[in-house]
Amino acid sequence: MTATPIESRMQRPIILFSRIWPWIFLGLLIAFFVAVVPLASNGSVNFLTIRNSQNILVAITPVLLLGLGQTFVIIGRGIDLSVGWVMSLASVLSALAIRTVFNAGLPLSLSIVIGLLAALGGAGLFGFMNGVIIAKLKVPAFIVTLGSSFIVRGVALLMSENTTVIGLPPGIRDYGNEALVYYIRGEGGGLYLLQRPDVGGDLVRRMDAILPYPVVLTAIVVAIAVFLLHKTQFGRHTYAIGGSPEAAIRTGIPVDRHVISLYILSASTAGIAGFLSTLRFAAGSAVIGDPLLLSSIAAVTIGGVSLFGGAGTVIGTVIGALIIAVLTTGLVMLNVEAFWQFIVIGIVVIVAVLIDQSRDLIISRDRAGQSS
Amino acid sequence: MERRMFLSMLAAAAAVRETGFHPFTSTAYAAEGKPIKIGFLPGVVDPFYQVMQLGVESAAKQLGIEVVTQIPQTWGVEVQTPILDSMVARGDLNYIITAPTDKDQMIGPLKTAADAGIKIITVDTFLGDGDYATGPVTFPVSYIGSDNMEGGRISARGLAKAIGGKGLVYINSTNPNVSSVEGREKGFKEVMEKEFPDIKVLGPDYNLDDMNKAQQQTAAVLERERDLAGVFGTNVFSAQGAGNAVVNAGLGGHVQVVAYDATKAAIELMNTGVVTLVLAQKPFDMGYMGVQFAQADAAGVTSLPRRVETGFAIIDKANVKDPAVARFIYQVP
Repeated sequence: MTATPIESRMQRPIILFSRIWPWIFLGLLIAFFVAVVPLASNGSVNFLTIRNSQNILVAITPVLLLGLGQTFVIIGRGIDLSVGWVMSLASVLSALAIRTVFNAGLPLSLSIVIGLLAALGGAGLFGFMNGVIIAKLKVPAFIVTLGSSFIVRGVALLMSENTTVIGLPPGIRDYGNEALVYYIRGEGGGLYLLQRPDVGGDLVRRMDAILPYPVVLTAIVVAIAVFLLHKTQFGRHTYAIGGSPEAAIRTGIPVDRHVISLYILSASTAGIAGFLSTLRFAAGSAVIGDPLLLSSIAAVTIGGVSLFGGAGTVIGTVIGALIIAVLTTGLVMLNVEAFWQFIVIGIVVIVAVLIDQSRDLIISRDRAGQSS
Repeated sequence: MERRMFLSMLAAAAAVRETGFHPFTSTAYAAEGKPIKIGFLPGVVDPFYQVMQLGVESAAKQLGIEVVTQIPQTWGVEVQTPILDSMVARGDLNYIITAPTDKDQMIGPLKTAADAGIKIITVDTFLGDGDYATGPVTFPVSYIGSDNMEGGRISARGLAKAIGGKGLVYINSTNPNVSSVEGREKGFKEVMEKEFPDIKVLGPDYNLDDMNKAQQQTAAVLERERDLAGVFGTNVFSAQGAGNAVVNAGLGGHVQVVAYDATKAAIELMNTGVVTLVLAQKPFDMGYMGVQFAQADAAGVTSLPRRVETGFAIIDKANVKDPAVARFIYQVP
């Protein structure tokens, strides 16, 4: 049986609204700050500047990278609570690898590539472990990944000998903080590619770094994720498993293998996040990813990925991460007291989830109607 | 002579362990000239407490005292209490040297330990108001540490000097309502208000231990306040994130950043120009003196100070090579 015409007429706009809601909200948010930030500062400060936009893009990179893999996992009706600590482990592993091979005489660029491989390898191994236990032993994902996050935490702390991994090659900071393009506004300015112009005084204040390397790398990962989820069989299988695992098995999708690869993917994007943090802060830290887990799940949820699986997009997660970062930067620029910042961010997350759930409620009511 | 006494003490200790005899009152035990046994329970795994542990072990080795160390993996009453309880349950410890993770909530668990005959010495952090002579909590033997308020004050004076006594400064902190960083904020604000009328303090914003967020918040403040002169990071993580924002804005060296705690990471940040000043506490002193105090108390010394301030050192690029200053860097082998 199909849903009655009245129900589907109500459903369609709600589903459509929940799909474009993150975009609308981001637009409203930016418009709000663009209007209010100059008012709060008597016109001396603007929200929509090149520098501010780049700051926000840099700020979303770790949250977004954790969220990208999580998007796949949650669409596939799972959850990965270990990503924060996997990111920390990757940060430690990449820092140790870079320091070791650089000190052994390898050039910096090659050392960094090896650092990335170490991060991906270590993270991927834990992703594989998560996936196998979840898929083959049928243990609930949140228990498995919660448990493995303790293991990862221990391994990261042991490997870092419980301290920040320092002594990395001096040039490494540039890879994590410099940008593709530099632009100096106004008199004596101009456009510079790849090389931070060596200027001082007033010119520094007018210089914008556009497309910092972490943003570029994250954008590439986003592009790959979009392609993977929306253009390939891998993506279609992910939606199918999230929609109905039983149906996916009946249609011959290798569900176990696919679930394992979802957790490897999730750990890998967390691994890239850890690698990037090592470049950005020129050090490896065994605790750097821990506080990011909740933000990353919030980004995924605000972006419209259903926590019940089967629905969501990569771009939605990007928007979700942007909403959180725009809020954080905007509230600081408005000089809002710290405690009010918490309250506002909390309200936004809950409103977003409410709208997400209203869609799920309607869909499930429809399903219940069909089966009766 | 000393060594032979030490050996006989060890033998005695071993004999006690074999017979399974556990003394319940430490003072009687010590009065018989037998060695005391100390439990060391710091707040969390980090370089600061690792250096403190070195101090504890160094003193214990010299005095021939056995130490049992348990380190919580995360900071918090709910993590520290069960470890404390299990140390009490061993029944063989005479003293526990600990950094309470909450000045109020840890009173109960530590009082229970004290009632079981174990004497308490608090290091780094204290119970109640830290005044064990006339304050609300008097059962611990002594408090040995450096007051976070005072650390905030010294950071403020250091930063004020670095920015020439005037301008805007910003506090980036970890979490609200954590006594350690809260004290640092308070002391910092107090000195700026009283001693430097031309300095205005902004913040704090809380990064929730997220270095990335510390960078984002500081970048936003730099956008808002074009003439920001300095940043106080209430721990190394905060200072590292804040310093990254400053350097990325091309303002390294123009905006001064203070980091609280002299970890090796903080020193490296100073050497690469991400932070300007590093405030060092003296965790080795705290650990070493903690053991000495236990030994002295067991031997019947009655005039031990109830509160010892170990003080601070300010490290900058000019003095970091000076061995008298460099020894305060938290060196963990």
